[in-house]
Amino acid sequence: MLYLIGLGLSHETDITVRGLEVVKQCKRVYLEAYTSILMTADKESLEKFYGREVILADRELVESGSDTILENAQEDDVAFLVVGDPFGATTHTDLVLRARELGIKYTTIHNASVMNAVGACGLQLYNFGQTVSLVFFTDNWKPDSFYDKVLENRKLGLHTLLLLDIKVKEQSIENMARGRLIYEPPRYMSIETAASQLLEIEEIRGENCYGPNTPCIAVSRLGSPAQTIRSGVLEEMVEYESGAPLHSLVILGNQVHDLETDFIVEFAENKDRLRAAIKEDAQNFAKPVPPPPEDDFSD
Amino acid sequence: MDKVTNVRNMSVIAHVDHGKSTLTDSLVQRAGIISAAKAGEARFTDTRKDEQERGITIKSTAISLYGEMTEEDTKEIKQKTQGTEFLVNLIDSPGHVDFSSEVTAALRVTDGALVVVDTVEGVCVQTETVLRQALAERIKPVVVINKVDRALLELQTTKEDLYQSFARTVESVNVVISTYFDKSLGDVQVYPEKGTVAFASGLHGWAFTIRQFAIRYSKKFGVDREKMMERLWGDSFFNPKTKKWTNKEKDADGKVLERAFNMFVLDPIFKIFNAIMNYKKEEIPVLLEKLEINLKSDEKELEGKALLKIVMRKFLPAADALMEMIVIHLPSPVTAQAYRAETLYEGPSDDPACLAIKECDPKSDLMLYVSKMVPTSDKGRFYAFGRVFAGTVRSGQKVRIQGPNYIPGKKDDLFIKAIQRTVLMMGRFVEPIDDVPAGNIVGLVGVDQFLLKSGTLTTYENAHNLKVMKFSVSPVVQVAVDVKNANDLPKLVEGLKRLSKSDPCVLTTMSESGEHIVACTGELHLEICLKDLEEDHAGIPLKISPPVVSYRETVEAESSMTALSKSPNKHNRIYVKAQPIDEELALAIENGTVNPRDDFKVRARIMADDYGWDVTDARKIWCFGPDGSGANLVVDQTKAVQYLHEIKDSVVAAFQWATKEGPIFGENMRAVRVNILDVTLHPDAIHRGGGQLIPTMRRVTYAATLLAEPRIQEPVFLVEIQCPENAIGGIYSVLNKKRGQVLSEEQRPGTPLFTVKAHLPVNESFGFTGELRQATGGQAFPQMVFDHWQVMGGDPLDPSSKPGQIVADARTRRGMKQEVPGYEEYYDKL
Repeated sequence: MLYLIGLGLSHETDITVRGLEVVKQCKRVYLEAYTSILMTADKESLEKFYGREVILADRELVESGSDTILENAQEDDVAFLVVGDPFGATTHTDLVLRARELGIKYTTIHNASVMNAVGACGLQLYNFGQTVSLVFFTDNWKPDSFYDKVLENRKLGLHTLLLLDIKVKEQSIENMARGRLIYEPPRYMSIETAASQLLEIEEIRGENCYGPNTPCIAVSRLGSPAQTIRSGVLEEMVEYESGAPLHSLVILGNQVHDLETDFIVEFAENKDRLRAAIKEDAQNFAKPVPPPPEDDFSD
Repeated sequence: MDKVTNVRNMSVIAHVDHGKSTLTDSLVQRAGIISAAKAGEARFTDTRKDEQERGITIKSTAISLYGEMTEEDTKEIKQKTQGTEFLVNLIDSPGHVDFSSEVTAALRVTDGALVVVDTVEGVCVQTETVLRQALAERIKPVVVINKVDRALLELQTTKEDLYQSFARTVESVNVVISTYFDKSLGDVQVYPEKGTVAFASGLHGWAFTIRQFAIRYSKKFGVDREKMMERLWGDSFFNPKTKKWTNKEKDADGKVLERAFNMFVLDPIFKIFNAIMNYKKEEIPVLLEKLEINLKSDEKELEGKALLKIVMRKFLPAADALMEMIVIHLPSPVTAQAYRAETLYEGPSDDPACLAIKECDPKSDLMLYVSKMVPTSDKGRFYAFGRVFAGTVRSGQKVRIQGPNYIPGKKDDLFIKAIQRTVLMMGRFVEPIDDVPAGNIVGLVGVDQFLLKSGTLTTYENAHNLKVMKFSVSPVVQVAVDVKNANDLPKLVEGLKRLSKSDPCVLTTMSESGEHIVACTGELHLEICLKDLEEDHAGIPLKISPPVVSYRETVEAESSMTALSKSPNKHNRIYVKAQPIDEELALAIENGTVNPRDDFKVRARIMADDYGWDVTDARKIWCFGPDGSGANLVVDQTKAVQYLHEIKDSVVAAFQWATKEGPIFGENMRAVRVNILDVTLHPDAIHRGGGQLIPTMRRVTYAATLLAEPRIQEPVFLVEIQCPENAIGGIYSVLNKKRGQVLSEEQRPGTPLFTVKAHLPVNESFGFTGELRQATGGQAFPQMVFDHWQVMGGDPLDPSSKPGQIVADARTRRGMKQEVPGYEEYYDKL
């Protein structure tokens, strides 16, 4: 049996009770360590807490070496630990597919993920649209397809959750192309970088999807003791010192509920500016008012 | 040099041993740099010790010469000039094919070329190559037929035979020129009657053009000089009885008339030779008086060759004839840059930089091309040698240094630094100078660290590059070098860097297994490079592996099925097929006719019209590879794939590396076209980044290649051997043994020499020269130049075949797995 177990957001103790019981009785336990990181725990503290050995699974092992993970899982119990919720990262659907091919049964034990915990910032989860990731730009690689998705959300008045790129163990382009396994040091995108990249793309595309004055919320280290939430306009985020990873950014939809407004303004540095910005933003994407029906004077 | 209209930048080009450096000496001597006595022997421009020892030129050398013309001569000049003083910047280039890249670098900075041809040997393979190179750069040629003394002394030809031999040589030069006709350059064929052909003996220091004789006779006959010139060449005869000119060989009575050229031009020369060499003492003073030659008393004592030399030099001084031809017929920078600008500049032809080049404007922003690096006396430092095309370069000036890979608007391959000093290059000396205006050739101090081999220097921020030079030779012969003493390794690394800088064409790389590779164009080039490395650049004893040849990996057919690879996360899939590119197109890409930097619409048109491509495909070429310019292509044949443009960069990056290190044994790929048929992508950008797509594209390229009947190509030399008849048997037997294929065997008319042309695989060429010498008693000398890539028959994946053996050896040497991985290694099942 393959168990996919969510670890939650931050502490080693965030694992569910059912999840913990399974981990303790499994033959092998893998910790997936590249789509996200546990902010206040590492392999050692997990091993101590579970009282057993945990195998670190990097991208190489999960993507190219799934056979090792699934070896003999028809008979044995294998746990695959994923930070957040197992299906938060789409990558792991592939592991399940491969398990199915091999006739291995699987069970999922869910947990909290940024996808739901982001509600902490005061926005209603119902009002979120498509989630997008924002990747590190290079000199000549600036993918901007996220822009269309944010635009679609904004047109419907929905908030957009932006997940910021993390590169835990990546190869440089040259090494990648030559097929060498040499890795670069880890990098995590900060709120500042994200905000300036967003503005850069708006400048290039110029479709008025958002602008320097668009309200947004920076959610840093969600679920950890050092969790910080800061609201403000996009321009202010460029100057914001977001600190240690991980970060997410929410671009507000232009129809913000009064309760949401009240809640998020508390996180703002410049409360009046944010209120004004939210009000102003509401005017964007307004559908043209249909002309009043002409009075029928005919008799 | 401020009067740019009176500057002539020219290179001396020719086949090896046709007497370039010797002829150059006579010009140098006129400028008073070396004594007249030494001219013809000193070879002033052969500055290196080994050049002097071997008697060949290895590096091109520049020298600036000052000359004054008569009022009368300057009137002949059909372009703008001021006054009668002229500056000639001359570059003497090597003739041996292995150093063709030096010629390319010389041609780039000059506007005219003095093509030297041996009277006896005629137009040879390298004459043709350099002429072709010159015309491609829009360089105007004039011709010197050299070593006329040999024809007179050794072959003892008759006047008519000599005329015929001259005419044949001129004709064969013109055949080459007309093949590469370029509308913007106009008709650049050479005509003795127009004064664009000179006849010379570099060794004896004399030369003449028809024009000089025409001047003499026009006074005597009272005929217009230009008319006279026409009469002195071709089918033009003079009847001494009737004193009439005619174009018929025979007069009214059926008596044979003497050709005007023979009668008026060759006759006096023959008479001098006859009188002096046959020691007819009494005739000499009469002759001398007739020709108005005054000898000093001590000179009168001489006899034989020494006297001949003095007399001929006084009669027809080489420097005068050459100088006159150069100044009158070669274009000034102002004239030349007007038509060269568009071929020199990569950017649009209406931007300020290009306009400034066109006008050769010294007041505009600087545009300077560095074509090569010249070692200084300070070890490890170089002068950057180049040509100012626009603006003025000064010491201390801050410039943008743009390497060959610079793209406008980006920061790659770009430095902004100050030029420390500007200098004039004078053979083995340099002279400091404050500033150098547009149209001149210059040496720069202090930019060598920022340029690898060549590049563009500019002060204009939006300037594109000046076009990167294309070399006609490629480094196909390589060796691995290693230090004898492990402590010397850093010195070797540094030495390799310097070596790479000092030579336009040598390639130094480090292989996967950590070997240091030096790649050269031929055995001689390799020998010189290694000697320089060992004695000069690194200065340490070296271990040198036996030479090996570089190969290319290619395909013969379309992939037998669609190759598919999935990204590591399995969310992205690329479907491709590989197929061969026609040899003609591959060549066009390699010589730059089809260029990645061209406008894609224009390029697509050319590819459709000339190479039978589908226009839609040709417009959808994503990239060339390797290095963005090689003869392998990625063509997008997908239909309506979302986000496709976002993965283009990953695909391009992967393709560069995949084609650089092919699947069979890590050699460059060549003439492979990869069609992307379909792509499946993850909807979120983070899951389709380079990390996912690059390895996938690389794998799928390999898989498609291995599915498309992979083959290897080996480089083949064109060998030209001149020899007497009795040596031909020996040549054939050596060629046979070495897989050579004879193309032609011809006798050069009027000489006992035979020219044999053959194709010889580079792999077999090591030691060829030696064996040939042995088999022919030292009578045959081959010239070998890279000609083409040839597919080797046999499956390289089968270790029992010949290519399979080569692959297996190379894989072992490089520390790769012995077995070539099958396509399954790179292929993912659906």
